[in-house]
Amino acid sequence: MKGNRLQVAALAVALLVPALGGQCLAAGKVHKLGLSLAITGPTSDAGNPYAKGVEDYFRLVNDTDMLGEDTIDCMIRDDQYNNDITKRNFEDFLSEDIIFFLGYSTGSTLALKKDFEEEGIAVMPASFHAGNTADSNYVFLPIASYSAQLVGLGEYLAAAHREGVPKVALFVHPSVFGRGPVEDLQKAIKAGLKLDIVEVVEHGKDLDNTAMLKRLMSKGVQYVLTHTVQSPVASMLKDASGLGLAATSFGEPGKLTFLGCHYTGGNDLVALAGDAAENFNWVTSYIVTNEPGPGATAQLQLAERYGRDDKAANSHNYANGMMVAQVVTELIKRAKAGGGDVTREAMHRELLAMNGDRAFSPGTTVGPVTFSATDKAGVDTLQLYVVKDGLFHSSGQPFTPVYTDKIK
Amino acid sequence: MATNRWLATGNFFSSYREEQRIFFTALDRSALLASLCLLVLWPLLVTIDGKYMLVIDTILVAVVAVLGLNLVTGFAGLISIGHAAFVGIGAYTVASFARLLGENHVVLTHAWPLLILLGGLVGAAFGALVGLPAMRLKHLYLAIATLSFQMIFQWVINFMDFFNQGQTISVGRVVWPGGTVTRGQHYLFWYYVILTVIVVLAFAVRNLLRTRYGRCLIAVRDNDRAADAMGMHPGLTKVYAFALAGFFAGVAGGLQAYLYRGVGIESFTLHHSINYLAMAIVGGLGTLHGAFWGPAAIKALDLLVEGFSAWVGEMLTISGNLATAFKPLSFGLVIVLFLMFEPRGIANWWRIARSYVKQWPFRY
Repeated sequence: MKGNRLQVAALAVALLVPALGGQCLAAGKVHKLGLSLAITGPTSDAGNPYAKGVEDYFRLVNDTDMLGEDTIDCMIRDDQYNNDITKRNFEDFLSEDIIFFLGYSTGSTLALKKDFEEEGIAVMPASFHAGNTADSNYVFLPIASYSAQLVGLGEYLAAAHREGVPKVALFVHPSVFGRGPVEDLQKAIKAGLKLDIVEVVEHGKDLDNTAMLKRLMSKGVQYVLTHTVQSPVASMLKDASGLGLAATSFGEPGKLTFLGCHYTGGNDLVALAGDAAENFNWVTSYIVTNEPGPGATAQLQLAERYGRDDKAANSHNYANGMMVAQVVTELIKRAKAGGGDVTREAMHRELLAMNGDRAFSPGTTVGPVTFSATDKAGVDTLQLYVVKDGLFHSSGQPFTPVYTDKIK
Repeated sequence: MATNRWLATGNFFSSYREEQRIFFTALDRSALLASLCLLVLWPLLVTIDGKYMLVIDTILVAVVAVLGLNLVTGFAGLISIGHAAFVGIGAYTVASFARLLGENHVVLTHAWPLLILLGGLVGAAFGALVGLPAMRLKHLYLAIATLSFQMIFQWVINFMDFFNQGQTISVGRVVWPGGTVTRGQHYLFWYYVILTVIVVLAFAVRNLLRTRYGRCLIAVRDNDRAADAMGMHPGLTKVYAFALAGFFAGVAGGLQAYLYRGVGIESFTLHHSINYLAMAIVGGLGTLHGAFWGPAAIKALDLLVEGFSAWVGEMLTISGNLATAFKPLSFGLVIVLFLMFEPRGIANWWRIARSYVKQWPFRY
């Protein structure tokens, strides 16, 4: 009996060792990445779909063997929009030997900028604050900066406005995120952009904007450029609509026309503001899912594959997360194709080389992703969308702001 | 009474002077020395990830801040809801030098102990200023006055260009006799610095409580009119309590600025003030070692809740909302439970444990 057991054990070992050994030999490398963002807490309405976009795309990469036998292990941690937690998460990721860091907020990116430099690790945050890239070799914005977006909106309305210099009010978030691009728009005006900024409003948590809207009207404001998150914009749009102050067409005399940067718009705005969102003008570098195209199809299929609800599937922040995951996957592919190891240095090198013939088109954006030592913003082109019948529709062709170069 | 102090069970005082000793028994002294040795030696024997060293350092910074808050709220009985602002003042004192001279200026990199001390002194000055209303205000009214200071602080930092409108102001790496502290040494270096600061400040508090100034704080807390009748000046005592708390908070702020290598307004909000107050309550108001237990307990709770929320997030589809609600819920619940069932905080458990050890093998 004892002899039989030994024989069985020996047979099992003889079978298992080659099997396991073969599996080990066959298994590819695991490329570790870290994502720290607000899945809960402030701004989680953007962070939640963003995290899903990143997670789903990397699952797709692994499930479809997009990197051959190699896989991606992206650790996703909730930082609750708290810089101290982001720093802790970053330290945690470093101990796991990540090769690329996906960040989130403006505050945490600025707070950790020195660490990124010292670690020599490339970073792509969800914040498009132009200041993120100042004095930094390692921070790369996925799309055009908030400054470029605001200046782009300014250029659009200066061109579209019919009589005289348009009078504008800025409605911004009371933080670095909100204030950042204001100075750049003022610089663009000094450089020749035909706009008259009548007032800069840093909104609070007001539930009623009647007084502010009446004041803007009394000052002759015609356009309100917004750079904040969706809920204060929705609140303002509803008040403007209720007061009969919202323009029903672009630049309607005696009314206010509202325009906004990336984080002001999207389906969540329509859900929050309802009919009041009609005619809202929004600029971003991402495609929208209600307009058919390969990017929209890919986004919807990805969300469907991993059982996401309609809200997440159609969110521009889902596209945002998906896009950065696409870029990182492409970097790994290129680094592998280069023949060397996929290291932090290789990822950084490939990012800097992502231009010209090596520009990358993820499909989820309205233009190609290009980076270089002097160009730290991925997609330089912007698309203007307007809400019609509860959906954002493209207005005109994608464009690149011209004043962003003039004010550098 | 046993002549051998090692064999003493319970505390026996035959003179007032004996009651004022720093260590009541030889066991107390030995236990503290052993604990200090352990705290100094463990990082040399065990290597842990930067994440956990950062957590430990953060707890130690909070200990410094809560030591101060305990003086004003625990010992002097004055509610302060603006403690994070005092911590912020210390941090922004360091940051101001970074703005004026540059983050890597020799003053910031070499004279860092002086800057941390200066942070404490500026904190003390603001503490005294904010403490002035305490001469006239009490209870809820004083709490509102400190809350106002918190709001004013946030507003000033958020809107002044000099303070970068709340955006992070970087602080360079420090230099010590061994050279520039590298990234690899950073958390360990600051662990030892903060630990040293804590030992010095804890002994300072312990000694303060043995002096008439310390007893004044307690007398004013227990009954300020009686203290007044006994010849103390309750108003000045309150101002002086706020100044002391401001000093400790300022030192904590200076340490935090160097530990995080930057200063941003996000670390000094009302939420942080409430957090410090919670640490003091959970640790045990009016006790010295409560200032050690509170920060450790609250930070550990934070980590546990984060871990649990992440686990819930993986298990349930409604995770986003649930996890969002779970953290403040658990935080609030712990405070309420402590207030209901253990208002003397974790320090009381420590007292019970010590008492048991001291009385062993006799139970009464």
